[in-house]
Amino acid sequence: MRRTRASEVLVGALPIVLILGLWHGLATAEMAPPSLLPAPRAVFSRLVEQFASPSYLQHAAITLFRLFAGFAIAVGIGVAAGVTATGSTAFGALLRPVVRVLAPVPKVALYPALILVLGFEHASKIALVAADAVFPILLATYQGTAAVEPKLVWSALAAGASRRNALFNVVLPAALPSVLTGCRIGLVISCIVVFLAEMITSTNGLGHLLIYAARNFETIDMFVPLITISILGLVLNASFNALQRWLLLGFPQETSR
Amino acid sequence: MSVRLSAIPGLSPLCACFGLLALWEMSAQVVGIAGLPPAHEALRALPAILSDPEALINILHSIRRMSVGFVLALTFAVPLGLAMGRSRIVAAFSNPLLMMIYPVPKAALMPIIMLWLGIGDAPKTLVIFLGVSLPIIYHASHGARAVEEKILWSAAAMGMSPRWQLLRIVLPAALPETFVGIRTGLVLALITMVTSEMIARQAGVGNILFNSLDMAQYDAVYATILIIAALGFGLDLAIEWLRSRLLAWAEPVYQIAVGSA
Repeated sequence: MRRTRASEVLVGALPIVLILGLWHGLATAEMAPPSLLPAPRAVFSRLVEQFASPSYLQHAAITLFRLFAGFAIAVGIGVAAGVTATGSTAFGALLRPVVRVLAPVPKVALYPALILVLGFEHASKIALVAADAVFPILLATYQGTAAVEPKLVWSALAAGASRRNALFNVVLPAALPSVLTGCRIGLVISCIVVFLAEMITSTNGLGHLLIYAARNFETIDMFVPLITISILGLVLNASFNALQRWLLLGFPQETSR
Repeated sequence: MSVRLSAIPGLSPLCACFGLLALWEMSAQVVGIAGLPPAHEALRALPAILSDPEALINILHSIRRMSVGFVLALTFAVPLGLAMGRSRIVAAFSNPLLMMIYPVPKAALMPIIMLWLGIGDAPKTLVIFLGVSLPIIYHASHGARAVEEKILWSAAAMGMSPRWQLLRIVLPAALPETFVGIRTGLVLALITMVTSEMIARQAGVGNILFNSLDMAQYDAVYATILIIAALGFGLDLAIEWLRSRLLAWAEPVYQIAVGSA
C-alpha cells in the first residue's frame, strides 16, 4: 500500500469543499429558491434530526434487512455455483452459456415479473437484490477457483481427500481473495438495487421516503435518504474492507483495491 | 469427421436461451398463476409490441437517450481516467469525490434532477451520463497506471512530447483495460435507462413495462422484459465483437462487471 501524504488529502478535500461552498453560496445568495435547492445546513441538521427519530430508523432497518437478505442469498448461490462449476466440467459447461446470456441483461427489468410472482412485499425486492448481486460473486468465484494452483489439489487428492473435500477445503480457501472481491462488488450493488426497488414500488424503506418526499415537494427530505444510502454504502464498503484484511492475513499479496 | 459442437460460434448461448425459455414454460405450467404466463404467450405478444408505432417510438427514444448519455460519458471519462492514472495530483484531486459518489444510486437522483431540469430528456441523459462515467474512469485510470514506464522513458529519450506520449503510448496501452470499463458502462447505461424510466414514469421502455403491469397485460409485461433482455445481450455481443476487432493483440482482461444503476 502506498502511503498517502497529507498534501494529497488536502487536494482531495478541495473539490468536496468547493462543491459544498458553491451549494452554500447558491442557497444563501438566494439565486436558487429553497424549494429547489435547500441550504446545506438545513439538509444536514435534518439528517441529524432524522437519525434520532425512531420511525426513520425503522425505515432504514427495513432497507438493511432486505439488503442483507438478498446479499446473503446471492453469496450462497454465487459461491456454491462458482465452486461447483470449477469442480465439475459438465456443470461448468452448462452454467457458462447461461451466465453469458443472463449477466448483461438489466436485472431491474425483471422487477415487474418478480412483483407478479412474489408480491409487493419483501420477497420481490430481496429476489431482485439477489439476482443483481449474484453475478459478480459467481464470476469472481468461478475465475478465482479455476485459477487455483493444480498442485494444491493434487497434493490433497494424494493425501486421501475426496474430490468434494478438496474442492471446499483447499480450492475455495485458496480462491478467497477473488471471492471476497466479488462479494464486495455484490455488496455495493445490493445497496444500490435495494434503494431503487424501494423507489419503484414500496410503502416503506429509505427509497420510499425519497419518493414520498418528492411527491410532496419536500426538497430537504429528498436529500436526506440519498445521503443516508451513500453513507450506508461507504460504511458497508469500509467494514467489508476491514473484514477482508482480517480474513486474508496469511495471503502473500493483498488483492483489495 | 465430426464437427465439434462447441466450435460453432453462438451455438451455446442460443442453447442456453432455449433452455431458459423451456424452463420458464415448464415452471409456468407447474405454478399456474396469472402473474406468470407461459413463455409462448409472451413470445406471441412480441410482434404486437414491435409493430405498434407508439411503443416503437418510445423504445427508439430510450435508445437515443442512452446513446447520447453514453457518448458524452465516453468523451469525458476516458481522458479523465487516463489523466488520473498518470498524474498523482489529478488522482488525489478526484479520488475522494468519486469515492463519495460511487455508492449513490444514480437513478435515485432522478427526482431531484427533475426538479432542476424539468421532465424532458435532460435529466434522464444526465443520470445515464453519471452512471456510465464511473466504471470507465475507474478502469481507464487502472489501465493508465499499469503502463510500462520503460516505454515512456524510451519515448521521452527520443524526444516525444508529454502530450504525444499520452496519445500515442498511454492511450493504446491502457485500451484493453479501458474497454472493460466501456463494456461495464454500456450494460450500466441500459440499466440506468430502464430504471430512470421506471422511476419517472412518463416515457420509454421502463414506462411501457409498468403501464402494462398496471393494466394487467401480463403477456405484454413479459414480452417487454424479453425485448430489454435481448437489447442487453445484443449490446454486450456488439461490444465483444468490437473488442475482438480492435484489440486482437491484447489478452482478454480478467473482468468482473462492476456497479449497478
